[in-house]
Amino acid sequence: MNIADLSRGELTNRLKGPGLRWRSGPFSIHLKNSINQFTDYLTLIYGGHPVIEEPWKDIADFHIQLTTNSNYRRFWRPQVFFQLDGVKHLAPFPRDHAPPMFEWGWNFSIAGRANHFLILHNAVIAKGDRAMLLPGIPGSGKSTLCAAMALKGWRLLSDEFALLQPESGLVFPTARPVALKNQSIEIIRDFSKDALLGPDFSKTRKGTVAHMRPPDASIKLMEQPARPTWVVSPSYQEGQSAILEQIPKEHAFLLVAANAFNYETLGDNAFKAVARVVRESTIFNFRYSNLEEAVATLEMMTQNDEAQQKP
Amino acid sequence: MAESKNSGEIFIDVWNEPSIFPTLSIDEQDLFLRIARKAGLLSRFCYILDAAQITETLTTKVQNHLQGARFVAQEDARMLRWEVNRIQRALIETELPLILLKGAAYLMSDLPMAQGRLVADVDILCNKADIAKVEELLSKNGWQGVELEPYDQRYYRDWMHEIPPMRHGERLTEVDVHHAILPKTGRLNPDSELLIRDIVPVKGENNIYTLSRVDMTLHGVVHLFYDSDFDKGLRGLTDMDGLFRHFGKSEIFWQQLIPRAVELNLVRPLYYALQTVADIVATPIPKWVQDEIKVHAPIRPIGWLMTILIQRMMIPNHPEERDFISWLAWFLLFIRSHWLRMPPGLLFKHLTNKWVRKWRFDVRNRRTV
Repeated sequence: MNIADLSRGELTNRLKGPGLRWRSGPFSIHLKNSINQFTDYLTLIYGGHPVIEEPWKDIADFHIQLTTNSNYRRFWRPQVFFQLDGVKHLAPFPRDHAPPMFEWGWNFSIAGRANHFLILHNAVIAKGDRAMLLPGIPGSGKSTLCAAMALKGWRLLSDEFALLQPESGLVFPTARPVALKNQSIEIIRDFSKDALLGPDFSKTRKGTVAHMRPPDASIKLMEQPARPTWVVSPSYQEGQSAILEQIPKEHAFLLVAANAFNYETLGDNAFKAVARVVRESTIFNFRYSNLEEAVATLEMMTQNDEAQQKP
Repeated sequence: MAESKNSGEIFIDVWNEPSIFPTLSIDEQDLFLRIARKAGLLSRFCYILDAAQITETLTTKVQNHLQGARFVAQEDARMLRWEVNRIQRALIETELPLILLKGAAYLMSDLPMAQGRLVADVDILCNKADIAKVEELLSKNGWQGVELEPYDQRYYRDWMHEIPPMRHGERLTEVDVHHAILPKTGRLNPDSELLIRDIVPVKGENNIYTLSRVDMTLHGVVHLFYDSDFDKGLRGLTDMDGLFRHFGKSEIFWQQLIPRAVELNLVRPLYYALQTVADIVATPIPKWVQDEIKVHAPIRPIGWLMTILIQRMMIPNHPEERDFISWLAWFLLFIRSHWLRMPPGLLFKHLTNKWVRKWRFDVRNRRTV
């Protein structure tokens, strides 16, 4: 059963009572929430995610609670607080920004906790089990690009984290929504009529934010990891036609390693995992401005690559 | 239906008998992991469960959490060894011994309890007369005193047993330089000279020392019962258990313990520590030691009250909520720890200053939200 299959009453009862449990890729989350507007967001954006009906089979990775003020601020400019295991983290947002607070808080929780993975600050998409990692600084367009690729039939793994398992070298999906910022919101709305976007949240730390629901096909395959095959470092430059430049492997190591949240924590495991990505992938710098052209360029590159692989 | 256990009871049961962990329900395992993580003990448990050879029987998710915690602990240990090495280098031109306290001492002496034990900073001890020299050498080698408000500077310099933390400019790691193990203004004042006279070299290292095993244990005791850091109570408790279990294998340790506590004027905290570990985590303590320490018990009502407060404080009922009684216990112990730290007049001044500043900070914060 998926979140959207629960009646509104049932969903509210769970969120306000024992909490709602669902799966996102390798993670299970246990969420309590009493903010009604957030429940709307959950139904719309996480509607395709499977509810955990047998919580006695395994633990929850994250026990998260969204709470609001209990004093006079309940009525005057109310806030939303993010709690992990009962401890408040991060500065509160205004209460009507509960969804971005939740997404930011969950990102924070994954980045701090999921240390059995090497966590790279990358967007990840895949064709079958071949993954493309998109490292990039904020503003480079990695979220937009990964949303566009997902809308063109690529599998969305994550717009935020490449979860690299050190032992296997595979990258795991989270199949969570893509957070689009500012102009990207309109660009993605115009890009495809299939884009299912939640409401705009204006004046957040990163400007206006809206979330794109992951395609159902990506959610269906969220238990399946993929093999890093391409690393494409995007940089959006106005008026630039799409150009892919292959980077020599000896220069690529830092490109991958520098984006890790927990490189030092994993020590030599991190070194080996990054080395394997660099060894086994083709690595590019990618400059672009037009999204259609960018997607077509990446499609072509991967098709050529696949054609060459066949004997 | 059997009454379900609260998380504190589950924690203690598993600590005393790790092999029962796989027999707990998933809910109980989940509670256990959360309480352990909150106490900073999840990574300790990886090693304990590994040693009991049961890690592989656990669910994938539990194993993942343990693996993540193990990586974090390994990073801490690497960091700590490197920091000790850097401090050793910074002090190389002096004849001063580098005396490690707490976590750094446990790790460098390869105590079993150091496996998976998280550490945030390095604590070192030196003679009061050498403080200026140590501070100067650390400053010359990249550490800087953390910037503090004038009140806090004075708090450390005039009243405390350590100087303000020194932070390394690049690595951002901290060294706490102590000249005593308790505040100058405190009721108990063990003589650092006595501690330094008995230091023990760390095997295989040059000029690195720890306190003797009895003193190391007594320092742990002091830390647990004379600090206001009770939220880390479980951790302090497991540290005590680890020290008593490890050193306690030797009969000589027990023979030295009480006389040394008397000499250092630390019998009362030792009394509480022995009581607490024996009560809560079933640490094996020889009968004659238990009998002998009773001479140093406080008067009855105080003893009872302390037992109740300590138990409440050490064993959280739930990882997320603190009930009123636990809160009250925390409050009373907080007051007690400060009471022991400084005379009443000074205490009043200090707490007033802290509360006024907190209030000001809150008001300032609200304006900017």
